[in-house]
Amino acid sequence: MSKDRIVIDSQLSSTFSLKEVLRYKDLLYNLARRDFLVRYKQAIMGITWALVKPSINILVFGYIASKLLAVDSADAYLNVSVGMIIWQLFASVFTEVSNSIVGNANLFSKVYFPKIIIPLSSILVCLLDFLISCIIIIVLLIISDKSLHWELIFAPVFIALTIINGLGIGLFFATLFVKYRDVRYIVPVIIQFGMYASPVIVSAGYYLTRLNTINPDLSYLFHLNPMVGALEGFRYSLFGSSHPFDWTGFSISVASSLVFLIVGIKYFYRFERNFVDYI
Amino acid sequence: MSANTIISVEHLTKKYNLNKSAQTENDLLIKSLFHSFKKITQKKSTEEFLALNDISFTIQQGDRVGIIGRNGAGKSTLLKILSRITPPSSGRVQIDGRVTSLLEVGTGFHGDLSGRENIYLNGSILGMSKQEINKKFDEIVAFAEVEKFLDTPVKRYSSGMYVRLAFSVAAHLESDILIVDEVLAVGDAAFQNKCLGKMEEANHNSGKTILFVSHNMGQVSALCNKGILLNKGQVEMNGPLPEIITHYFNNGASENVTCFKYESKPESEYCIRQVRLLNHQLQECKNFAHDETISIEIEVEQHVKLNDVLLGIRFCDMYDKRIFTSNIALTDKFEKNGTSKFKITIPHTTLTPNTYNFSIGIHIPNIQLIDEKNNVGTFQIYDNGSEFYKYSDVDNGVVFVNCKWEMTN
Repeated sequence: MSKDRIVIDSQLSSTFSLKEVLRYKDLLYNLARRDFLVRYKQAIMGITWALVKPSINILVFGYIASKLLAVDSADAYLNVSVGMIIWQLFASVFTEVSNSIVGNANLFSKVYFPKIIIPLSSILVCLLDFLISCIIIIVLLIISDKSLHWELIFAPVFIALTIINGLGIGLFFATLFVKYRDVRYIVPVIIQFGMYASPVIVSAGYYLTRLNTINPDLSYLFHLNPMVGALEGFRYSLFGSSHPFDWTGFSISVASSLVFLIVGIKYFYRFERNFVDYI
Repeated sequence: MSANTIISVEHLTKKYNLNKSAQTENDLLIKSLFHSFKKITQKKSTEEFLALNDISFTIQQGDRVGIIGRNGAGKSTLLKILSRITPPSSGRVQIDGRVTSLLEVGTGFHGDLSGRENIYLNGSILGMSKQEINKKFDEIVAFAEVEKFLDTPVKRYSSGMYVRLAFSVAAHLESDILIVDEVLAVGDAAFQNKCLGKMEEANHNSGKTILFVSHNMGQVSALCNKGILLNKGQVEMNGPLPEIITHYFNNGASENVTCFKYESKPESEYCIRQVRLLNHQLQECKNFAHDETISIEIEVEQHVKLNDVLLGIRFCDMYDKRIFTSNIALTDKFEKNGTSKFKITIPHTTLTPNTYNFSIGIHIPNIQLIDEKNNVGTFQIYDNGSEFYKYSDVDNGVVFVNCKWEMTN
């Protein structure tokens, strides 16, 4: 009879448990499936919408970059598209994770399940959109006649790093959102500002040379941005050694990513049990 | 804790902070930003509300427990804690088994998704695995009677179909403990009975433990054998259901009305002014032993004398099924305009133990309805040793009939 013993205690605090997440993997899948199915229901163009937004951004910022840096325009567009698509992945994971808890309050206020399932499932949809928008990169790679390098095998690592960034920061804001609806307005601001503070339109080198002329210490500050490592790493995996890579800066950035993730998870679980009372 | 105990609740308390003080607790979210993860000492707040105040009880395996109490007694809070939706402020609960809670019908249903997609979504929210849903899929669909509309978005369903599908998923969950909160109130009566039947069946076949909250005492007594009566966050009584229900009705303040007064309506020819429920000693009462006579005294005011006027009373069970009607001619009873009292007495051992309500009307048959009071009040009949007492779980109908039995060979 003790096969399923549940103890409810005011003293117990909840922590992340992979076992519980695996037990609810069907829920994870079904929630993601719901979000995906609902997204393009009653839309004639359906999933092709996933290509429209990044394409427009790439066209606009690619044009700006090619004028700004006076580089070959095919290269500029490719560089922007790589940065933009990774940034878009981060931005959508961050936004979806932040909104996920409040958006699904009707579920966990009526049924028990590990609440972490909700943000995790929202990531899956973002990942699918990302994979679809990768078509743009593939098309541009073919047009600009670039060859791929063995470094491509690292690409999944940097995609994972991007998701970790979005998840860590997103969980933090998802928790704040439960009580403070200001989060709805803060998140887009952070994303917009963050895009200019990160090497999205141009590579990190462009920022670093300018920061170094002001104060060399600023480059460390620049690397504290967890998205710097993910963006530069993804470019490195696509363009190979032709893309300059700063290992020190990268390490700082990855460390910062992990700190954001740990803080996000801790903060989430600190209040997870009480979400229903706060919301 | 005995071997059969499946749920044990010890000193459970749930505190809510109200208004201003709630703000200080909520500020924890912001404060913890700056104090990182240090334990933050909670400010003493004066405005606290104890939804549950130090309650303890145990539930045995296979029990069907009705949790009853007035609004604000803490029923829903208790169910939320037992379903792990909200944590207690202090105390401890131990549950030995898989819990399914049905605090709402169709949690997570999405209007744009088809019936089929919603079965999988809702099932997995309730904790079913994909294989489990696959296995039960046909049964769920058959029970809900929505075969033809499986691939239609549920937003196009009628509300009845929606509820049937939603309940059907929940009814097919495999769990040791089922927690149900008034969700049955939504379906039509026929489907409600089907659901009650399904729950009873689960209890009989697999010894499933059921916790059931409802304001409908008929449903509670149809399904449950034990009861827990909550009052202002505390357990007032815990034991066999019939006693609890009697206690509940005898001690209630607001709902325990045995005298109903109505305004005079000079524009109508006759009107009902007052109705009283009386026992055999002519004391006001609303709980009657099954072998006790029930009297209802009705005060009628006549303004204009009409011919062929009848005063009628109709009795219904908790599902609003009419049981019997009785009339008295009024026209000759009044010597002059004014008020008169009429008393109807139901013989003892007529209605079986249950809850009933009644309506009163003054009318000229097939011509005019002069005054009408629908669902005036309810009264309970409790069993103090009828021939049915031994099988208190079984529905024995609504009337006792003194039939003649004899051996004929």
